[in-house]
Amino acid sequence: MAITAGVDVGTGAVKVAVMRAGDSCARDELLGSYFERIRRRDVMSVVDECFEAALKQAGLRKDQLDYIATTGEGDMIPWRTGHFYGMTTHARGALFLDPKARGAIDVGALHARAMRFDEHGRVLEYRMTSQCASGSGQFVENIARYLGVSLDDVGPLSQKGTKPERVSGICAVLAETDVINMVSRGISTPDILRGIHDSISVRLAGLIRGIKISGVLMITGGLAADSGLVAALKDKLKDGAAAIELRQHALSVHAGAIGAALWGAFRHGKLAKETEAAHAGGT
Amino acid sequence: MSTALAETSEKLLALSRRAESLYDDLDLRAVTEWKSRGKNRRAIGFLPIYVPREIIHAAGALPVGLMGGADRVEIVRGDSYFQSYICHLPRSVIELAVGGRMDACDGFLFPSICDVIRNLSGMFKMLLPGKYVHYVDLPQNFDTALGGRFYISELKLMARDIGNLTGVEVTDDRLRASLAAYNENRVALRRLLHARRDRPWEVPTLDYYLLLRAGYMLPVEEHTAMVNEYVELAAQAGRPRMDNIRVAVRGAFCEQPPLGLLRTLERAGCYVVDDDFVLGSRFIEQDLDVHGDPWDALAQGFMHHSLPAASKYDQRRTKHADFVKRVRDYRADGVIFMAPSFCDPALLEQPMLQKALEDADIPFTAFKYSEDTGQFQVIREQAGTFADALKLWGNA
Repeated sequence: MAITAGVDVGTGAVKVAVMRAGDSCARDELLGSYFERIRRRDVMSVVDECFEAALKQAGLRKDQLDYIATTGEGDMIPWRTGHFYGMTTHARGALFLDPKARGAIDVGALHARAMRFDEHGRVLEYRMTSQCASGSGQFVENIARYLGVSLDDVGPLSQKGTKPERVSGICAVLAETDVINMVSRGISTPDILRGIHDSISVRLAGLIRGIKISGVLMITGGLAADSGLVAALKDKLKDGAAAIELRQHALSVHAGAIGAALWGAFRHGKLAKETEAAHAGGT
Repeated sequence: MSTALAETSEKLLALSRRAESLYDDLDLRAVTEWKSRGKNRRAIGFLPIYVPREIIHAAGALPVGLMGGADRVEIVRGDSYFQSYICHLPRSVIELAVGGRMDACDGFLFPSICDVIRNLSGMFKMLLPGKYVHYVDLPQNFDTALGGRFYISELKLMARDIGNLTGVEVTDDRLRASLAAYNENRVALRRLLHARRDRPWEVPTLDYYLLLRAGYMLPVEEHTAMVNEYVELAAQAGRPRMDNIRVAVRGAFCEQPPLGLLRTLERAGCYVVDDDFVLGSRFIEQDLDVHGDPWDALAQGFMHHSLPAASKYDQRRTKHADFVKRVRDYRADGVIFMAPSFCDPALLEQPMLQKALEDADIPFTAFKYSEDTGQFQVIREQAGTFADALKLWGNA
């Protein structure tokens, strides 16, 4: 058994999870978690704040952790034990959140990626968006700011839209121009937001179909908390030949941090075994 | 952090900053400064991979490694000399030379590594008519009686030419003293390399690389002292060990990777425990005999005790088996092939080395770079997933 922390530093937010890893996946336990937007602050100070808060929630001190794993942009944290790539951690985090999941779509501030994995969380196939931000959280955040809508209201408002306006699905800059035109044409905010979510969903559905998945697919990353996007994506996935069940979890945003912590526990065990074997061989 | 640890960290930081300032010194101000400290001092620039710096040193001149402009030079004139399918290094070298930024060098040596470097020597002759320019024809026959004899004649020719520039005759005694000075440097570099191999968390890849590069700007005695000081301090610095994989890197022996790429590799979870960066700095693996004929010693060193390289003929045909053995000896979990785009020697050798790794069941990944590569996201993802795969599903 190991107690570990995962720190997921994204472009827009920092997420920390403290886990107790059991002797099987079913026995893994989340002890504490914390999420905080960066909002133009010094990233390391936000990391420290989140880390302290998650540890406090877990009732632990830093020196009680067996492994501190980072993911995302967390490779700049000097006190990490190890770092794991985002694809690896989101797959493992999604599996923790739903053991039936065999795929995940991680939608963060700047990137989206779809991955298919096995029952151990090993990534078998993946697809990513390119550097364009039109399938990402930053895009939604920009639009919300133009429209004067808080991020928490984006999802519920979008679901009230009845006549979604078509938005460029290729380029975030063009899409933002589209939105300015819509506002001047008097299109309602719910219809604009629904159009945005539909546009992003088309891109995401393309990524998901590229990994040839069927069955349960978890949505993770910052936009997993956007109920409007989840609804629009579920709708888009109905059109495909493969039966895909998109699931969202209250902790979906923390999937990367959870996955990092769990892989950290795995590494802690593996390294301990190697040390034991080395000692046994030496005696 | 205790006061002693803080002091050690400060000293290490000062050393790495000094090394980085030398790396950034594209105008060779440090060379100009060295020349100003004595009468008739000369500096001889040389291109990768290897030239016998002992000859330059024995003639009283300063050997200066010319490794291109990295990502800090805007190429305007350099591109007009080369086709689009030629690597980046000669472009920045030409850019720096025609811009007067290599004026501190009184001569230039171009070792026989590839057609591009060979042709560059001809271009330098035309572009810089007042400078000494020499194409160093390294032997590809490793029979002492043939290649060895040829190599010694080449060494003596260089010694005569550079001696004429400095007014210092390269006598046997002077050359022996230079061999001894470089032997000390080899010992210091071996300490550094072994620290990287045994405790890579003590010496970050970036510091290690900058220390190697400093040896191409500083007088050898100063560089030896710098490396020794760094290794001693690093052992006391208490830098934390991270759960990174151990990798060997191959392909970067000529055009050098930008510093951002080296940072990216380590941040992606890879400790580079063996590499071919700045290969010429430690090309001769053993100390050379300082008691017998110094010319013979240099020839023996090159022919029988130098590292394998893509541009060196593998007469014994053991290169691939030796490579696998070295990867294992250095306990590397895998190999990263990172070669400059359009580098014929590196890219032609790579498939054969990969085949040897496949046969030995050693994992590897490969990508290309250019000295001015500025975007590392794709490389970061590739190195990161490679590290994850080895840590979670491999033997790391």
